[in-house]
Amino acid sequence: MLVAGRKRRGGYRRIVKLTLRIWRQRGPNERGGLVTYQVDDISPDMSFLEMLDALNQQLIMAGEEPVAFEHDCREGICGSCSLVIDGVPHGPDRGVTTCQLYMRRFADGKTITIEPWRARAFPIVKDLVVDRRALDRIMQAGGYISVNTGGAVDGNTLLIGKEEAETAMDAASCIGCGACVAACKNASAMLFVAAKVAHLATLPQGKPERTRRVMAMVQAMDREGFGSCGNQYECEAVCPKNISVRFIALLNREYLRAGILGTKMPAQSDPPHGESY
Amino acid sequence: MSRVKVFFNSSVNSKIVASLAGLGLTGFAIFHMLGNLQVFEGSDAINGYASILRDMPILLWTARMGLLIVAGLHIGLVIRLALRNRQGRPVAYAVRRYRAASVASRTMVLTGSLLLFFIIFHLLHLTAGLIDASAPDGLDIQGRVDVYGKIIHAFRNPLYVGIYFVGQLALGLHLSHAISSGLQTLGIEHAALNRLFKLAGSGIALFVVLGNLSIIFAVFLGLIRA
Ligand code: HEM
Ligand code: SF4
Ligand code: FES
Repeated sequence: MLVAGRKRRGGYRRIVKLTLRIWRQRGPNERGGLVTYQVDDISPDMSFLEMLDALNQQLIMAGEEPVAFEHDCREGICGSCSLVIDGVPHGPDRGVTTCQLYMRRFADGKTITIEPWRARAFPIVKDLVVDRRALDRIMQAGGYISVNTGGAVDGNTLLIGKEEAETAMDAASCIGCGACVAACKNASAMLFVAAKVAHLATLPQGKPERTRRVMAMVQAMDREGFGSCGNQYECEAVCPKNISVRFIALLNREYLRAGILGTKMPAQSDPPHGESY
Repeated sequence: MSRVKVFFNSSVNSKIVASLAGLGLTGFAIFHMLGNLQVFEGSDAINGYASILRDMPILLWTARMGLLIVAGLHIGLVIRLALRNRQGRPVAYAVRRYRAASVASRTMVLTGSLLLFFIIFHLLHLTAGLIDASAPDGLDIQGRVDVYGKIIHAFRNPLYVGIYFVGQLALGLHLSHAISSGLQTLGIEHAALNRLFKLAGSGIALFVVLGNLSIIFAVFLGLIRA
């Protein structure tokens, strides 16, 4: 693997030149296309997004429209950044988001192709920005627990085994970036839904709504136009949080269980306290 | 009717039923291959086996109808899923790099379609005897249908060897992804056993294909003769 920027100037290594092919699209219903740009003076210590900032500075100086891309925390926790870099969502490094990718990963003089997440359920807003509210709507369908508000519950009132806590934590580390959808040949959101369902189904607080949750979330997923899972596991290979496809099997089990038990069973007679879950 | 529609509108339900049907077909493929291996025991064994099956017409036709329904269900559901999946990404990527997807998993529609053609051809050829006019359709000395003779005649011909070879290649590729995929779809996974499940997929695929190919090449190379 070639390390970026062999040339030394002023004591630090810098990439002299990069060619970028970036998807530009003015708006949701406009025609888009790949546009080629040159950037130079890129430090290997810059993050990928800082490199795009440098390009945008250059474009603004030249009186051109800067490239729109999403970012917020720039430390791998918010799930905003979303670029397909040379055909891989979040780029060549594993287990990181685009904002955690550094330019030292790229060789001097390289051409890099940058595209938005592509899925019917993620329509393009502008350039590299897509509308990922489909994932929010899946969450609204069932990715929550219903609790009565009031004084905070004492710690350790609900005992949770270490194994369960670890599993739930692994699933809960999903940041909802949508890279799994972007990587899947069917644009399936199964890994995302699996992470959310597994997170809540593993914990006691998630148990009461367990049956209707998985039904509602899968139904919402299908409604949004995501494809189905072909078990190719591209999602796991690009997930910045290394969410395991074992959670997809868990989701399938939860769904089978819910299908067999039926969502209506607890509601056949009205709940005694009129609680709605 | 509408309940059936609602049920199959769920992608996960469709996948579960398709994988159950697929695993059922896999079971048939294994036993069909094992039955075929009786060719190596000579004409008496395989002709006897065929005549036992034919002597139980109700059982035979129930099994055939069952297989037809299961195959129809599998094919119908996977075609529906594949069409929906295709709509999932209307604009393709300019650059696409795969990291995890095996060749077999990426060619399921192709190998599945080849399999469908192969199965139809195979039924017309050896079951119905409608393809090859020169094939013997006589009885053996005990008055049973001479399946052995048909097999020997067919695989002396390089054309049929070629067609069956491609068919088995498609079957092997299809099964090598299908079995482990089907288990995952049914939620059958385990931290320690997952590698075994993966191996079982390619292992069973190899087992079925090598078993069938051994018959074809044994005849072609003259290791078994009339
Ligand atoms: C001997 C005949 C066949 C056997 C044993 C078989 C077996 C299987 C199994 C076990 C699966 C796994 C289901 C899953 O992914 O959960 C599968 C998937 C699949 N089969 Fe078959 N199959 C056969 C014939 C066919 C035919 C004739 C077609 C096409 C016309 C076909 C197309 C597919 C496709 C496209 C998938 C992938 C589904 C997906 O990934 O969503 N198969 N098959
Ligand atoms: S499962 Fe991974 S790739 Fe998918 S949304 Fe969550 S963090 Fe992103
Ligand atoms: S900008 Fe927040 S995860 Fe990348």
